Amino acid sequence: MMPRRGSRVSVFELALLAVFGVLAIAVLPPTMQDIAVLTFLWAGLALAWNLAGGYAGLISFGHAAFFGIGAYASTILFVNLGLTPWIGIWIGGLIAGAAGAILAVICARLRGPFFILSTLAASEVVRIAALNWATLTGGPEGLSIPPVPGLANMVFASKDAYVIMMLVFLVAVFAFTKWLEGSRYGYYLFAVRDDADAASAAGVNPLLVRTVAMALSAGITGIGGSLFAQYFLYLDPTFMISPELSFQFALLAAVGGLGSAVGPVLGSFLITPMSELLRAYLGNHAAGLHLVIYSGLLIVVMLYFPGGIAGALARLSGGRGKR
Amino acid sequence: MTALLTLDKVSRRFDALWAVRDVNLTVEKGELLGLIGPNGAGKSTLFNLIAGALLPSGGEIVFDGQNVTTWKSHQIARIGIARTFQIPKPYRQLSVVENVMLTAFQHNHAVRAARELAVRSLNDVGLQDYVDAPVTTLTVGLLKRLEVARALALQPKLVLFDEIMAGLTPTEVGVMTKFIAELPARGITVVWVEHVLHAIMRTATRIVVLNRGELIANGKPADIAKDPAVIKAYLGEELSLA
Repeated sequence: MMPRRGSRVSVFELALLAVFGVLAIAVLPPTMQDIAVLTFLWAGLALAWNLAGGYAGLISFGHAAFFGIGAYASTILFVNLGLTPWIGIWIGGLIAGAAGAILAVICARLRGPFFILSTLAASEVVRIAALNWATLTGGPEGLSIPPVPGLANMVFASKDAYVIMMLVFLVAVFAFTKWLEGSRYGYYLFAVRDDADAASAAGVNPLLVRTVAMALSAGITGIGGSLFAQYFLYLDPTFMISPELSFQFALLAAVGGLGSAVGPVLGSFLITPMSELLRAYLGNHAAGLHLVIYSGLLIVVMLYFPGGIAGALARLSGGRGKR
Repeated sequence: MTALLTLDKVSRRFDALWAVRDVNLTVEKGELLGLIGPNGAGKSTLFNLIAGALLPSGGEIVFDGQNVTTWKSHQIARIGIARTFQIPKPYRQLSVVENVMLTAFQHNHAVRAARELAVRSLNDVGLQDYVDAPVTTLTVGLLKRLEVARALALQPKLVLFDEIMAGLTPTEVGVMTKFIAELPARGITVVWVEHVLHAIMRTATRIVVLNRGELIANGKPADIAKDPAVIKAYLGEELSLA
Protein backbone atom coordinates (compact mmCIF):
# COMPACT_ATOMS: atom_id res chain seq x y z
CA MET A 1 0.00 0.00 0.00
CA MET A 2 1.26 3.43 -0.83
CA PRO A 3 0.57 6.47 1.26
CA ARG A 4 -1.62 9.18 -0.14
CA ARG A 5 0.26 12.38 -0.67
CA GLY A 6 -0.14 15.08 1.94
CA SER A 7 -1.00 18.51 0.66
CA ARG A 8 -0.32 20.67 3.71
CA VAL A 9 2.50 21.31 6.08
CA SER A 10 1.54 19.66 9.35
CA VAL A 11 1.54 21.52 12.65
CA PHE A 12 4.16 19.04 13.83
CA GLU A 13 6.53 19.90 10.99
CA LEU A 14 6.09 23.62 11.55
CA ALA A 15 6.63 23.24 15.30
CA LEU A 16 9.76 21.20 14.73
CA LEU A 17 11.22 23.82 12.39
CA ALA A 18 10.28 26.57 14.84
CA VAL A 19 12.11 24.69 17.62
CA PHE A 20 15.23 24.59 15.45
CA GLY A 21 14.88 28.34 14.87
CA VAL A 22 14.44 29.12 18.57
CA LEU A 23 17.36 26.88 19.49
CA ALA A 24 19.56 28.54 16.88
CA ILE A 25 18.77 31.96 18.30
CA ALA A 26 18.69 31.18 22.04
CA VAL A 27 21.38 28.53 22.44
CA LEU A 28 23.98 28.89 19.70
CA PRO A 29 26.80 31.41 20.15
CA PRO A 30 26.93 33.98 17.32
CA THR A 31 29.86 32.22 15.59
CA MET A 32 27.83 29.03 15.37
CA GLN A 33 24.71 30.88 14.21
CA ASP A 34 26.29 31.12 10.77
CA ILE A 35 25.91 27.37 10.54
CA ALA A 36 22.19 27.64 11.30
CA VAL A 37 21.78 30.39 8.71
CA LEU A 38 23.45 28.27 6.04
CA THR A 39 21.63 25.08 7.07
CA PHE A 40 18.23 26.73 6.62
CA LEU A 41 19.22 28.48 3.40
CA TRP A 42 20.75 25.40 1.78
CA ALA A 43 17.71 23.36 2.86
CA GLY A 44 15.44 25.81 1.05
CA LEU A 45 17.68 25.73 -2.00
CA ALA A 46 17.91 21.93 -2.00
CA LEU A 47 14.08 21.91 -1.93
CA ALA A 48 14.05 24.30 -4.89
CA TRP A 49 16.50 22.10 -6.80
CA ASN A 50 14.33 19.09 -5.96
CA LEU A 51 11.32 20.63 -7.74
CA ALA A 52 13.18 20.20 -11.04
CA GLY A 53 15.57 17.35 -10.21
CA GLY A 54 13.39 15.19 -7.97
CA TYR A 55 9.84 15.87 -9.09
CA ALA A 56 10.24 16.64 -12.79
CA GLY A 57 13.33 14.48 -13.36
CA LEU A 58 15.31 17.43 -14.71
CA ILE A 59 18.66 16.78 -13.03
CA SER A 60 20.49 20.09 -13.16
CA PHE A 61 24.15 20.72 -12.40
CA GLY A 62 23.75 24.37 -13.26
CA HIS A 63 21.57 25.78 -10.53
CA ALA A 64 24.37 27.98 -9.20
CA ALA A 65 23.74 30.12 -12.29
CA PHE A 66 20.21 30.89 -11.07
CA PHE A 67 21.55 31.46 -7.57
CA GLY A 68 24.09 33.93 -8.98
CA ILE A 69 21.58 35.63 -11.27
CA GLY A 70 19.26 36.29 -8.33
CA ALA A 71 22.08 37.51 -6.11
CA TYR A 72 23.56 39.80 -8.76
CA ALA A 73 20.16 41.17 -9.83
CA SER A 74 19.04 42.26 -6.37
CA THR A 75 22.51 43.53 -5.45
CA ILE A 76 22.99 45.58 -8.64
CA LEU A 77 19.51 47.06 -8.22
CA PHE A 78 20.32 47.90 -4.59
CA VAL A 79 23.88 49.20 -4.96
CA ASN A 80 23.50 51.02 -8.28
CA LEU A 81 19.88 52.14 -8.22
CA GLY A 82 19.11 52.19 -4.52
CA LEU A 83 16.17 49.79 -4.87
CA THR A 84 15.39 48.11 -1.55
CA PRO A 85 16.23 44.38 -1.53
CA TRP A 86 12.70 43.72 -0.24
CA ILE A 87 11.63 44.38 -3.83
CA GLY A 88 14.94 43.38 -5.44
CA ILE A 89 14.79 39.75 -4.28
CA TRP A 90 11.51 39.26 -6.17
CA ILE A 91 12.97 40.80 -9.31
CA GLY A 92 16.03 38.58 -8.89
CA GLY A 93 13.72 35.58 -8.57
CA LEU A 94 11.76 36.58 -11.67
CA ILE A 95 14.90 37.01 -13.78
CA ALA A 96 16.32 33.69 -12.55
CA GLY A 97 12.95 32.03 -13.23
CA ALA A 98 12.90 33.41 -16.77
CA ALA A 99 16.45 32.11 -17.28
CA GLY A 100 15.30 28.69 -16.05
CA ALA A 101 12.34 28.73 -18.45
CA ILE A 102 14.58 29.62 -21.39
CA LEU A 103 17.02 26.85 -20.48
CA ALA A 104 14.13 24.36 -20.27
CA VAL A 105 12.63 25.37 -23.61
CA ILE A 106 16.00 24.94 -25.31
CA CYS A 107 17.38 21.92 -23.42
CA ALA A 108 14.50 19.99 -21.80
CA ARG A 109 14.05 17.93 -24.98
CA LEU A 110 17.49 16.46 -24.29
CA ARG A 111 17.45 13.26 -22.28
CA GLY A 112 19.43 12.10 -19.27
CA PRO A 113 23.13 12.93 -19.33
CA PHE A 114 22.75 15.30 -22.28
CA PHE A 115 20.38 17.52 -20.33
CA ILE A 116 22.69 17.44 -17.30
CA LEU A 117 25.65 18.50 -19.45
CA SER A 118 23.65 21.30 -21.02
CA THR A 119 22.83 22.74 -17.58
CA LEU A 120 26.49 22.57 -16.60
CA ALA A 121 27.47 24.35 -19.81
CA ALA A 122 24.77 27.01 -19.40
CA SER A 123 25.95 27.85 -15.90
CA GLU A 124 29.53 28.19 -17.14
CA VAL A 125 28.27 30.70 -19.70
CA VAL A 126 26.66 32.70 -16.90
CA ARG A 127 29.81 32.50 -14.76
CA ILE A 128 32.07 33.70 -17.58
CA ALA A 129 29.62 36.50 -18.37
CA ALA A 130 29.67 37.59 -14.71
CA LEU A 131 33.47 37.51 -14.68
CA ASN A 132 33.80 39.60 -17.82
CA TRP A 133 30.91 42.04 -17.68
CA ALA A 134 32.86 44.08 -15.16
CA THR A 135 30.88 47.32 -15.49
CA LEU A 136 27.78 45.54 -14.24
CA THR A 137 29.09 42.77 -12.01
CA GLY A 138 32.45 44.09 -10.83
CA GLY A 139 34.11 41.25 -12.71
CA PRO A 140 36.46 39.00 -10.76
CA GLU A 141 36.62 41.49 -7.88
CA GLY A 142 32.95 40.98 -7.25
CA LEU A 143 30.37 43.28 -5.70
CA SER A 144 29.98 44.44 -2.12
CA ILE A 145 26.84 45.51 -0.33
CA PRO A 146 27.57 48.39 2.09
CA PRO A 147 27.38 46.87 5.61
CA VAL A 148 24.95 49.50 6.85
CA PRO A 149 22.34 47.81 9.03
CA GLY A 150 18.75 48.84 8.53
CA LEU A 151 15.41 47.23 7.78
CA ALA A 152 15.06 48.98 4.40
CA ASN A 153 18.54 47.78 3.44
CA MET A 154 17.74 44.22 4.55
CA VAL A 155 21.09 44.26 6.30
CA PHE A 156 21.11 43.31 9.97
CA ALA A 157 23.65 43.68 12.77
CA SER A 158 22.32 40.65 14.63
CA LYS A 159 22.68 37.11 13.29
CA ASP A 160 19.27 36.36 14.85
CA ALA A 161 17.60 38.31 12.08
CA TYR A 162 19.35 36.20 9.42
CA VAL A 163 18.40 32.99 11.22
CA ILE A 164 14.76 34.07 11.10
CA MET A 165 15.04 35.27 7.49
CA MET A 166 16.43 31.96 6.24
CA LEU A 167 13.99 29.93 8.34
CA VAL A 168 11.07 31.83 6.83
CA PHE A 169 12.52 31.13 3.37
CA LEU A 170 12.84 27.43 4.21
CA VAL A 171 9.32 27.17 5.61
CA ALA A 172 7.88 28.97 2.57
CA VAL A 173 9.61 26.66 0.08
CA PHE A 174 8.73 23.60 2.18
CA ALA A 175 5.06 24.61 2.33
CA PHE A 176 5.02 25.24 -1.43
CA THR A 177 6.61 21.85 -2.11
CA LYS A 178 4.06 20.08 0.08
CA TRP A 179 1.22 21.86 -1.65
CA LEU A 180 2.60 21.02 -5.07
CA GLU A 181 3.07 17.37 -4.10
CA GLY A 182 -0.63 16.92 -3.39
CA SER A 183 -1.93 18.99 -6.30
CA ARG A 184 -2.76 18.16 -9.88
CA TYR A 185 0.40 19.96 -11.04
CA GLY A 186 2.51 17.75 -8.78
CA TYR A 187 1.08 14.67 -10.50
CA TYR A 188 1.87 16.20 -13.88
CA LEU A 189 5.51 16.52 -12.79
CA PHE A 190 5.69 12.89 -11.62
CA ALA A 191 4.03 11.69 -14.82
CA VAL A 192 6.38 13.55 -17.13
CA ARG A 193 9.36 12.34 -15.12
CA ASP A 194 8.26 8.68 -15.19
CA ASP A 195 6.99 8.47 -18.78
CA ALA A 196 6.61 11.52 -21.00
CA ASP A 197 4.83 9.55 -23.77
CA ALA A 198 2.18 8.26 -21.40
CA ALA A 199 1.76 11.72 -19.88
CA SER A 200 1.30 13.15 -23.34
CA ALA A 201 -1.38 10.56 -24.11
CA ALA A 202 -3.12 11.71 -20.93
CA GLY A 203 -3.35 15.25 -22.31
CA VAL A 204 -0.34 16.61 -20.44
CA ASN A 205 2.09 18.77 -22.44
CA PRO A 206 5.54 17.51 -21.33
CA LEU A 207 7.51 20.51 -22.59
CA LEU A 208 5.22 22.95 -20.79
CA VAL A 209 5.38 20.95 -17.56
CA ARG A 210 9.17 20.78 -17.70
CA THR A 211 9.45 24.48 -18.46
CA VAL A 212 7.20 25.48 -15.57
CA ALA A 213 9.05 23.15 -13.18
CA MET A 214 12.42 24.56 -14.21
CA ALA A 215 11.16 28.16 -14.00
CA LEU A 216 9.79 27.63 -10.48
CA SER A 217 12.92 25.86 -9.33
CA ALA A 218 15.20 28.51 -10.85
CA GLY A 219 13.08 31.39 -9.56
CA ILE A 220 13.15 30.14 -5.96
CA THR A 221 16.88 29.50 -6.31
CA GLY A 222 17.28 33.11 -7.48
CA ILE A 223 15.43 34.39 -4.40
CA GLY A 224 17.73 32.23 -2.26
CA GLY A 225 20.71 33.80 -4.02
CA SER A 226 19.45 37.28 -3.23
CA LEU A 227 18.98 36.33 0.43
CA PHE A 228 22.51 34.92 0.52
CA ALA A 229 23.83 38.21 -0.91
CA GLN A 230 22.06 40.13 1.86
CA TYR A 231 23.66 37.87 4.44
CA PHE A 232 27.18 37.55 3.02
CA LEU A 233 27.29 41.15 1.71
CA TYR A 234 29.83 40.19 -0.92
CA LEU A 235 29.39 38.53 -4.31
CA ASP A 236 32.22 36.59 -5.87
CA PRO A 237 31.49 34.94 -9.22
CA THR A 238 33.97 32.12 -8.67
CA PHE A 239 31.94 30.97 -5.67
CA MET A 240 28.41 32.21 -6.47
CA ILE A 241 28.27 30.58 -9.91
CA SER A 242 30.57 27.62 -9.34
CA PRO A 243 29.89 24.00 -10.36
CA GLU A 244 30.71 23.08 -6.73
CA LEU A 245 27.71 25.07 -5.55
CA SER A 246 25.49 23.47 -8.20
CA PHE A 247 26.64 20.02 -7.09
CA GLN A 248 25.94 20.96 -3.50
CA PHE A 249 22.26 21.72 -4.20
CA ALA A 250 21.94 18.41 -6.03
CA LEU A 251 23.83 16.41 -3.38
CA LEU A 252 21.85 17.76 -0.43
CA ALA A 253 18.63 16.79 -2.20
CA ALA A 254 19.93 13.39 -3.33
CA VAL A 255 21.33 12.43 0.09
CA GLY A 256 18.09 13.50 1.78
CA GLY A 257 15.82 11.83 -0.74
CA LEU A 258 14.80 12.88 -4.25
CA GLY A 259 11.19 13.63 -4.96
CA SER A 260 10.14 14.07 -1.35
CA ALA A 261 9.50 17.28 0.56
CA VAL A 262 11.24 16.13 3.73
CA GLY A 263 14.32 14.72 2.00
CA PRO A 264 16.21 17.89 1.04
CA VAL A 265 15.51 19.37 4.48
CA LEU A 266 16.94 16.28 6.18
CA GLY A 267 19.88 16.33 3.79
CA SER A 268 20.79 19.90 4.64
CA PHE A 269 20.20 19.49 8.39
CA LEU A 270 22.57 16.53 8.43
CA ILE A 271 25.24 17.60 5.98
CA THR A 272 25.50 21.39 6.21
CA PRO A 273 26.46 21.53 9.93
CA MET A 274 28.81 18.57 9.51
CA SER A 275 30.47 20.08 6.46
CA GLU A 276 30.79 23.54 8.07
CA LEU A 277 32.19 22.12 11.33
CA LEU A 278 34.66 19.94 9.48
CA ARG A 279 35.73 22.91 7.41
CA ALA A 280 36.21 24.97 10.58
CA TYR A 281 38.11 22.33 12.57
CA LEU A 282 40.26 20.98 9.78
CA GLY A 283 40.84 24.45 8.42
CA ASN A 284 44.19 24.90 6.78
CA HIS A 285 45.69 21.65 8.05
CA ALA A 286 43.67 19.58 5.66
CA ALA A 287 42.01 21.94 3.26
CA GLY A 288 39.40 20.14 1.22
CA LEU A 289 39.20 17.09 3.48
CA HIS A 290 35.61 17.98 4.34
CA LEU A 291 34.81 17.57 0.64
CA VAL A 292 36.33 14.08 0.65
CA ILE A 293 34.22 13.03 3.64
CA TYR A 294 31.18 14.69 2.10
CA SER A 295 31.64 12.79 -1.17
CA GLY A 296 32.28 9.52 0.64
CA LEU A 297 29.04 9.91 2.52
CA LEU A 298 27.22 10.56 -0.72
CA ILE A 299 28.56 7.35 -2.27
CA VAL A 300 27.45 5.34 0.78
CA VAL A 301 23.97 6.85 0.65
CA MET A 302 23.61 6.29 -3.11
CA LEU A 303 24.78 2.67 -2.78
CA TYR A 304 22.74 1.59 0.22
CA PHE A 305 19.89 4.10 0.48
CA PRO A 306 18.87 5.06 -3.06
CA GLY A 307 15.77 6.71 -1.60
CA GLY A 308 18.01 8.94 0.51
CA ILE A 309 17.63 9.47 4.23
CA ALA A 310 13.91 10.11 3.82
CA GLY A 311 13.50 6.80 1.98
CA ALA A 312 15.47 4.89 4.61
CA LEU A 313 13.42 6.42 7.44
CA ALA A 314 10.18 5.60 5.63
CA ARG A 315 11.27 1.97 5.33
CA LEU A 316 12.21 1.86 9.03
CA SER A 317 8.80 3.16 10.06
CA GLY A 318 7.10 0.47 8.00
CA GLY A 319 6.59 2.53 4.87
CA ARG A 320 4.38 5.08 6.53
CA GLY A 321 6.59 8.01 5.57
CA LYS A 322 6.19 10.05 2.43
CA ARG A 323 8.39 9.02 -0.40
CA MET B 1 -24.22 7.18 -39.04
CA THR B 2 -21.85 10.10 -38.87
CA ALA B 3 -18.11 9.98 -39.34
CA LEU B 4 -16.13 10.55 -36.15
CA LEU B 5 -12.67 10.00 -37.60
CA THR B 6 -11.64 10.29 -41.23
CA LEU B 7 -8.24 9.43 -42.69
CA ASP B 8 -7.65 10.77 -46.18
CA LYS B 9 -4.65 9.31 -48.02
CA VAL B 10 -2.65 9.18 -44.80
CA SER B 11 0.97 8.11 -45.31
CA ARG B 12 4.07 7.80 -43.24
CA ARG B 13 7.51 7.11 -44.59
CA PHE B 14 10.60 6.06 -42.64
CA ASP B 15 13.42 6.89 -45.04
CA ALA B 16 12.74 4.71 -48.08
CA LEU B 17 10.13 2.55 -46.35
CA TRP B 18 6.45 3.43 -46.51
CA ALA B 19 5.17 2.11 -43.19
CA VAL B 20 1.69 3.42 -44.00
CA ARG B 21 0.68 4.40 -47.53
CA ASP B 22 -2.41 6.25 -48.79
CA VAL B 23 -4.76 4.88 -46.16
CA ASN B 24 -8.36 6.03 -46.53
CA LEU B 25 -10.51 5.12 -43.57
CA THR B 26 -13.69 6.39 -41.97
CA VAL B 27 -14.69 5.45 -38.45
CA GLU B 28 -18.37 5.98 -37.69
CA LYS B 29 -19.66 7.08 -34.33
CA GLY B 30 -20.50 4.07 -32.17
CA GLU B 31 -18.44 1.59 -34.19
CA LEU B 32 -16.23 -1.11 -32.81
CA LEU B 33 -13.66 -1.25 -35.56
CA GLY B 34 -11.04 -3.98 -35.60
CA LEU B 35 -7.72 -3.30 -37.28
CA ILE B 36 -5.76 -6.43 -38.13
CA GLY B 37 -2.81 -7.39 -40.26
CA PRO B 38 0.36 -9.47 -40.20
CA ASN B 39 3.46 -8.40 -38.28
CA GLY B 40 5.01 -5.25 -39.70
CA ALA B 41 1.85 -4.31 -41.59
CA GLY B 42 1.95 -0.78 -40.18
CA LYS B 43 -0.81 -1.13 -37.58
CA SER B 44 1.14 0.51 -34.78
CA THR B 45 2.37 3.25 -37.09
CA LEU B 46 -1.19 4.01 -38.19
CA PHE B 47 -2.14 4.08 -34.53
CA ASN B 48 0.61 6.49 -33.65
CA LEU B 49 -0.38 8.73 -36.56
CA ILE B 50 -3.96 8.99 -35.30
CA ALA B 51 -2.79 9.50 -31.70
CA GLY B 52 -0.40 12.28 -32.67
CA ALA B 53 2.71 10.40 -31.56
CA LEU B 54 3.95 10.48 -35.18
CA LEU B 55 3.45 13.12 -37.85
CA PRO B 56 2.09 11.92 -41.22
CA SER B 57 4.34 12.34 -44.25
CA GLY B 58 1.19 13.06 -46.23
CA GLY B 59 -2.58 13.03 -46.07
CA GLU B 60 -5.13 14.44 -43.70
CA ILE B 61 -6.72 13.33 -40.44
CA VAL B 62 -10.07 14.82 -39.41
CA PHE B 63 -11.62 14.10 -36.03
CA ASP B 64 -15.03 15.36 -34.99
CA GLY B 65 -15.00 17.98 -37.77
CA GLN B 66 -11.53 19.30 -36.95
CA ASN B 67 -8.40 18.84 -39.00
CA VAL B 68 -5.98 17.34 -36.48
CA THR B 69 -3.31 16.16 -38.92
CA THR B 70 -0.42 18.03 -37.28
CA TRP B 71 -1.66 18.00 -33.68
CA LYS B 72 0.61 16.71 -30.94
CA SER B 73 -0.43 13.79 -28.77
CA HIS B 74 -1.46 15.88 -25.74
CA GLN B 75 -3.72 17.96 -27.99
CA ILE B 76 -5.20 14.81 -29.51
CA ALA B 77 -5.89 13.49 -25.99
CA ARG B 78 -7.63 16.72 -25.04
CA ILE B 79 -10.14 16.55 -27.92
CA GLY B 80 -11.19 13.09 -26.82
CA ILE B 81 -8.97 10.40 -28.33
CA ALA B 82 -7.55 8.02 -25.73
CA ARG B 83 -4.99 5.33 -26.44
CA THR B 84 -3.26 2.40 -24.83
CA PHE B 85 0.35 1.40 -25.41
CA GLN B 86 1.25 -1.99 -26.81
CA ILE B 87 4.09 -2.18 -24.30
CA PRO B 88 2.50 -0.79 -21.13
CA LYS B 89 3.93 2.56 -20.06
CA PRO B 90 3.06 2.99 -16.38
CA TYR B 91 4.37 5.84 -14.25
CA ARG B 92 6.71 3.63 -12.24
CA GLN B 93 6.97 5.67 -9.08
CA LEU B 94 3.21 6.15 -8.68
CA SER B 95 0.51 3.91 -7.28
CA VAL B 96 -2.05 2.16 -9.48
CA VAL B 97 -4.80 4.70 -8.79
CA GLU B 98 -2.42 7.62 -9.30
CA ASN B 99 -1.54 6.19 -12.71
CA VAL B 100 -5.20 6.43 -13.68
CA MET B 101 -5.73 9.82 -11.99
CA LEU B 102 -3.34 11.42 -14.46
CA THR B 103 -5.80 10.84 -17.30
CA ALA B 104 -8.80 11.48 -15.05
CA PHE B 105 -7.50 15.01 -14.40
CA GLN B 106 -8.44 15.93 -17.96
CA HIS B 107 -12.08 16.40 -16.98
CA ASN B 108 -11.74 16.54 -13.19
CA HIS B 109 -9.34 19.17 -11.96
CA ALA B 110 -9.95 18.45 -8.28
CA VAL B 111 -7.72 15.69 -6.91
CA ARG B 112 -10.59 14.04 -5.03
CA ALA B 113 -12.88 13.93 -8.07
CA ALA B 114 -10.07 12.57 -10.25
CA ARG B 115 -9.41 9.86 -7.68
CA GLU B 116 -13.08 8.87 -7.60
CA LEU B 117 -13.23 8.58 -11.37
CA ALA B 118 -9.94 6.65 -11.36
CA VAL B 119 -11.28 4.17 -8.81
CA ARG B 120 -14.44 3.66 -10.91
CA SER B 121 -12.28 3.10 -13.95
CA LEU B 122 -10.19 0.53 -12.05
CA ASN B 123 -13.38 -1.26 -10.94
CA ASP B 124 -14.45 -1.45 -14.59
CA VAL B 125 -11.37 -3.47 -15.54
CA GLY B 126 -11.30 -5.57 -12.37
CA LEU B 127 -8.35 -3.86 -10.69
CA GLN B 128 -10.30 -2.84 -7.57
CA ASP B 129 -8.00 -4.85 -5.30
CA TYR B 130 -4.90 -2.95 -6.45
CA VAL B 131 -6.02 0.67 -6.05
CA ASP B 132 -3.26 1.81 -3.68
CA ALA B 133 -0.62 -0.77 -4.66
CA PRO B 134 2.65 0.40 -6.20
CA VAL B 135 2.32 -0.01 -9.94
CA THR B 136 5.55 -2.03 -10.02
CA THR B 137 3.78 -4.94 -8.27
CA LEU B 138 1.45 -5.54 -11.24
CA THR B 139 1.97 -8.44 -13.65
CA VAL B 140 1.94 -7.89 -17.42
CA GLY B 141 -1.70 -8.89 -17.67
CA LEU B 142 -2.68 -6.46 -14.94
CA LEU B 143 -0.60 -3.71 -16.56
CA LYS B 144 -2.57 -4.24 -19.79
CA ARG B 145 -5.77 -3.75 -17.84
CA LEU B 146 -4.30 -0.65 -16.23
CA GLU B 147 -3.66 0.72 -19.73
CA VAL B 148 -7.36 0.24 -20.50
CA ALA B 149 -8.45 1.86 -17.22
CA ARG B 150 -6.16 4.80 -17.91
CA ALA B 151 -7.50 5.32 -21.42
CA LEU B 152 -11.13 5.19 -20.29
CA ALA B 153 -10.51 7.64 -17.42
CA LEU B 154 -9.94 10.25 -20.12
CA GLN B 155 -13.69 9.92 -20.83
CA PRO B 156 -12.90 9.80 -24.53
CA LYS B 157 -15.11 9.91 -27.61
CA LEU B 158 -12.76 7.50 -29.34
CA VAL B 159 -10.43 4.97 -27.78
CA LEU B 160 -7.55 3.27 -29.55
CA PHE B 161 -6.65 -0.13 -28.10
CA ASP B 162 -3.25 -1.51 -29.13
CA GLU B 163 -2.98 -5.28 -28.54
CA ILE B 164 -4.46 -5.24 -25.07
CA MET B 165 -5.05 -9.02 -25.05
CA ALA B 166 -1.42 -10.06 -25.34
CA GLY B 167 -0.24 -11.57 -22.06
CA LEU B 168 -3.77 -12.13 -20.75
CA THR B 169 -5.03 -15.57 -19.69
CA PRO B 170 -7.96 -17.03 -21.70
CA THR B 171 -10.35 -16.16 -18.84
CA GLU B 172 -9.06 -12.59 -18.77
CA VAL B 173 -9.44 -12.35 -22.55
CA GLY B 174 -13.07 -13.38 -22.19
CA VAL B 175 -13.82 -10.81 -19.51
CA MET B 176 -12.00 -8.06 -21.37
CA THR B 177 -13.70 -8.87 -24.68
CA LYS B 178 -17.11 -8.61 -23.07
CA PHE B 179 -16.14 -5.32 -21.46
CA ILE B 180 -14.93 -3.82 -24.76
CA ALA B 181 -18.04 -4.97 -26.57
CA GLU B 182 -20.11 -2.84 -24.19
CA LEU B 183 -18.16 0.38 -24.79
CA PRO B 184 -20.10 1.60 -27.88
CA ALA B 185 -23.29 1.48 -25.80
CA ARG B 186 -21.57 3.85 -23.37
CA GLY B 187 -20.97 6.31 -26.20
CA ILE B 188 -17.34 5.36 -26.78
CA THR B 189 -16.23 4.51 -30.29
CA VAL B 190 -13.45 1.90 -30.44
CA VAL B 191 -10.60 1.24 -32.84
CA TRP B 192 -8.90 -1.93 -31.80
CA VAL B 193 -5.65 -3.46 -33.05
CA GLU B 194 -5.32 -7.07 -32.02
CA HIS B 195 -3.27 -10.16 -32.62
CA VAL B 196 -5.66 -12.38 -30.64
CA LEU B 197 -7.91 -12.76 -33.67
CA HIS B 198 -10.74 -14.82 -32.25
CA ALA B 199 -11.48 -12.11 -29.69
CA ILE B 200 -11.61 -9.33 -32.25
CA MET B 201 -13.46 -11.32 -34.94
CA ARG B 202 -16.27 -12.09 -32.51
CA THR B 203 -16.59 -8.59 -31.14
CA ALA B 204 -15.87 -6.06 -33.88
CA THR B 205 -18.71 -4.60 -35.94
CA ARG B 206 -16.31 -4.11 -38.85
CA ILE B 207 -12.77 -5.18 -39.66
CA VAL B 208 -10.14 -3.48 -41.77
CA VAL B 209 -6.99 -5.30 -42.81
CA LEU B 210 -3.65 -3.63 -43.26
CA ASN B 211 -0.82 -5.25 -45.18
CA ARG B 212 2.53 -3.65 -46.04
CA GLY B 213 1.18 -0.26 -45.08
CA GLU B 214 -1.92 -0.43 -47.28
CA LEU B 215 -5.55 -1.27 -46.57
CA ILE B 216 -6.39 -4.50 -48.41
CA ALA B 217 -9.81 -5.34 -47.02
CA ASN B 218 -12.70 -3.69 -45.26
CA GLY B 219 -15.92 -5.40 -44.19
CA LYS B 220 -17.84 -7.58 -41.78
CA PRO B 221 -15.75 -10.09 -39.81
CA ALA B 222 -17.34 -13.08 -41.56
CA ASP B 223 -16.54 -11.70 -45.01
CA ILE B 224 -13.00 -10.73 -44.01
CA ALA B 225 -12.24 -14.27 -42.88
CA LYS B 226 -13.10 -15.56 -46.39
CA ASP B 227 -11.35 -12.77 -48.30
CA PRO B 228 -8.61 -14.33 -50.50
CA ALA B 229 -6.40 -11.23 -50.29
CA VAL B 230 -6.51 -11.37 -46.51
CA ILE B 231 -5.74 -15.08 -46.39
CA LYS B 232 -2.83 -14.54 -48.77
CA ALA B 233 -1.50 -11.68 -46.64
CA TYR B 234 -1.42 -13.90 -43.63
CA LEU B 235 0.46 -16.51 -45.72
CA GLY B 236 -1.34 -19.51 -44.47
CA GLU B 237 -1.82 -18.25 -40.93
CA GLU B 238 -5.28 -19.50 -40.18
CA LEU B 239 -7.97 -17.00 -39.42
CA SER B 240 -9.70 -18.77 -36.61
CA LEU B 241 -13.24 -17.71 -35.87
CA ALA B 242 -13.54 -19.99 -32.87
